Amino acid sequence: MADVVVIGGGWAGVAAAITAKKAGAHVTIIERMDILLGLGNVGGIMRNNGRFTAAEECALLGGGELFAVTDRASRHAGIDFPGHTHASLYDVCKVEPMVRELLQEMGIELRLRSRAVDVKKNNDKIEGITLYNGEIIEGDVFIETTGSTGPMGNCLKYGNGCAMCILRCPSFGPRVSLCQKAGVEDILGKRSDGSYGAFSGSCKLNKDSLSPSLVHELNEKGVVVLPVPSEDINLKKLEMKVCQQYALKEYAENIILLDTGHAKLMAPFYPLDKLRSIPGLENARYEDPYAGGVGNSVRYLSIAPRSNSMKVLGLDNMLCAGEKSGLFVGHTEAIVTGSLAGHNSVRLVKGMQLLELPVNLACGDLIAFANERIQTEEGLKTRYTFAGADYFQRMKDLDLYITDQTKLKAKIERMNLLNIFHEKLV
Amino acid sequence: MSKNKIVTCIDAGSEYCPCYLAESDECITCSQLQGNSFCDCNWSGVCIYQEYAWCGMKKKTPREAIESEIIERKQIGDDVLVLRIGVSKTLARQLKQPGSYVFLRHPEKPMIFDVPMSIMAADAEKGEIAIAIHILGVKTKSLLACDDKILLKGPYWNGLIGYKDLKNVTNQNVLVIGRGIALAPAILAIQYLLHNKNKVTFIIDQGRTGSAFINESIAALEIDRHYLNLRSTGGLEKLNQILAEGTYSLVYSGGSDFLHEVIKDRLSRLGRPVKMVAINNHELCCGEGVCGSCTARTLNGQRVKMCKSQIDIEEMIEGGNCNG
Repeated sequence: MADVVVIGGGWAGVAAAITAKKAGAHVTIIERMDILLGLGNVGGIMRNNGRFTAAEECALLGGGELFAVTDRASRHAGIDFPGHTHASLYDVCKVEPMVRELLQEMGIELRLRSRAVDVKKNNDKIEGITLYNGEIIEGDVFIETTGSTGPMGNCLKYGNGCAMCILRCPSFGPRVSLCQKAGVEDILGKRSDGSYGAFSGSCKLNKDSLSPSLVHELNEKGVVVLPVPSEDINLKKLEMKVCQQYALKEYAENIILLDTGHAKLMAPFYPLDKLRSIPGLENARYEDPYAGGVGNSVRYLSIAPRSNSMKVLGLDNMLCAGEKSGLFVGHTEAIVTGSLAGHNSVRLVKGMQLLELPVNLACGDLIAFANERIQTEEGLKTRYTFAGADYFQRMKDLDLYITDQTKLKAKIERMNLLNIFHEKLV
Repeated sequence: MSKNKIVTCIDAGSEYCPCYLAESDECITCSQLQGNSFCDCNWSGVCIYQEYAWCGMKKKTPREAIESEIIERKQIGDDVLVLRIGVSKTLARQLKQPGSYVFLRHPEKPMIFDVPMSIMAADAEKGEIAIAIHILGVKTKSLLACDDKILLKGPYWNGLIGYKDLKNVTNQNVLVIGRGIALAPAILAIQYLLHNKNKVTFIIDQGRTGSAFINESIAALEIDRHYLNLRSTGGLEKLNQILAEGTYSLVYSGGSDFLHEVIKDRLSRLGRPVKMVAINNHELCCGEGVCGSCTARTLNGQRVKMCKSQIDIEEMIEGGNCNG
């Protein structure tokens, strides 16, 4: 039997738990909050641009469970908005319980409200994870998916202070970088001006505070585009966003709202008085308790050095995924990296060769490309996502952007990787 | 494993946090305010750095010495002075928690005469505190000359090491041991323990001061009392017997570091885990982590300022200097 401990119950951690479980491990997820999915509770955008390809690839590799959930939880499918096509928007108010149910059905052990604060280490081998109350969770292999966002001090130093985001550090305690506790120093992402971190790129408005006609349009179409008064257009704001795929001129010149249950406003923050000068938003307010008029969470402050098989360099039995593993943006990227890390955790226990995804798959190429680029100053200032910016262009250039499912299936079959995440290894 | 320099600061999150240390990148708890570029604190429920920013990147107003009225002064025996001092109700309330102390000084003396004194009793209704002083040296002798006024600076809280364990114990049997002038702070601890529905056994060692100065304070308390001399073989045997027969989950050591070591040694032979809390005997001088007189080394060689830092009791006894 292999004991796999996943620290952090966001999309990456949940995906890692699923593939580790399918490979035959006993899996425990340690999560500091009382809900799973972390930032996945405020996102919602799936299958836009190259993410469609990545989701299909991951499903064909045998990691399709979570995409099935997000498809099922989608309020809108196949919608277009500036710079993006064929997007799905899952309902952020419904998806977490669905994921939790899936994990429970699979027999994955969930330890909520269990903040990890340190590691117990013997040379380069992690023996256990110390929780806030001194309890030690032991295991054979560990997967850190604690993300790279916050806590409050970082959001202050590199942002506008705590904006009371979904991570709720004041209530559940701050994220702790376990790799750093184990002696592997974190890598920090940068902005174009060289400063550290980047703001999360969207905030959420309470839908009931919008005008009825706007709500109607949002519910019908999934997207609403409202022009920003010319005196308020601030192109500089685009530079501070993590989501470079949404750092387009259209996003400075317009208010873009997406229907994810809440009205997702595609800006890191927006002063309320300015927001209310826009027709339809006269009474707008942010979803409680989020201070979207002031700031947002700051991300990319805690990335572990890793191999392309997701193993943390310098530690014998620690893997990582999601934002902990690179300057990635998005749920799809978290699920893809998490799925690979979970599968490899069992290979690591068994002493098998760890799987690297081939670079002629978008999933494999993203993991390898981001890893190569993080070594460079320029690369630290770039984000890597199937959904846009430089990486989506690279997908197109390399012919990795494929939306034909039959073609993708044939490709993965040819690589002999079809359903590899379904293989039971122990 | 964590190699960072983060320990718990007793003042973290209080109205005196952030302090002078934050301004000089020497904060005990916040990694950002230690000059690092990342967060790595042990979380005290608040973000010290956020608070610091809200204060305009400055410390909060530090404690100041306030001229206070001596309501009553009693000399007991040759060398114990008990003062009842009038303070604000707020300060009395703040000084009610076990381990509280203040700095006292004669109004005409300079700051170098500040001497830390444990609180024996605090009445938040009346706005009064009681302090027992062992007249020993330059600073305490100067207090004898105080008639109706005294300078008082507080509140300070780090008089106990392992305070968290004392705070969390409820419905248990607790053994409180006090010797000499250190019997005084034991009173606050006993009151706290009784409030939390614990059953308290109090071992009273007269030490050099006698124990008459606590008689009034403990008269009405529902506790078991034993009068022992812990520097005698008979006293230690009786202590062993009490420890063996009682099902104590916490033992409070109020005495010198020598007494702490004796008690720790006895507890280690009981064959079951018993938590220990001990009074802080380090030489507190400024109370703000600035002067360095209370600096101690822990087991792993880390230097800590004992006027503010809460560390594991084992770390202090085995790694610290022997004081008191």
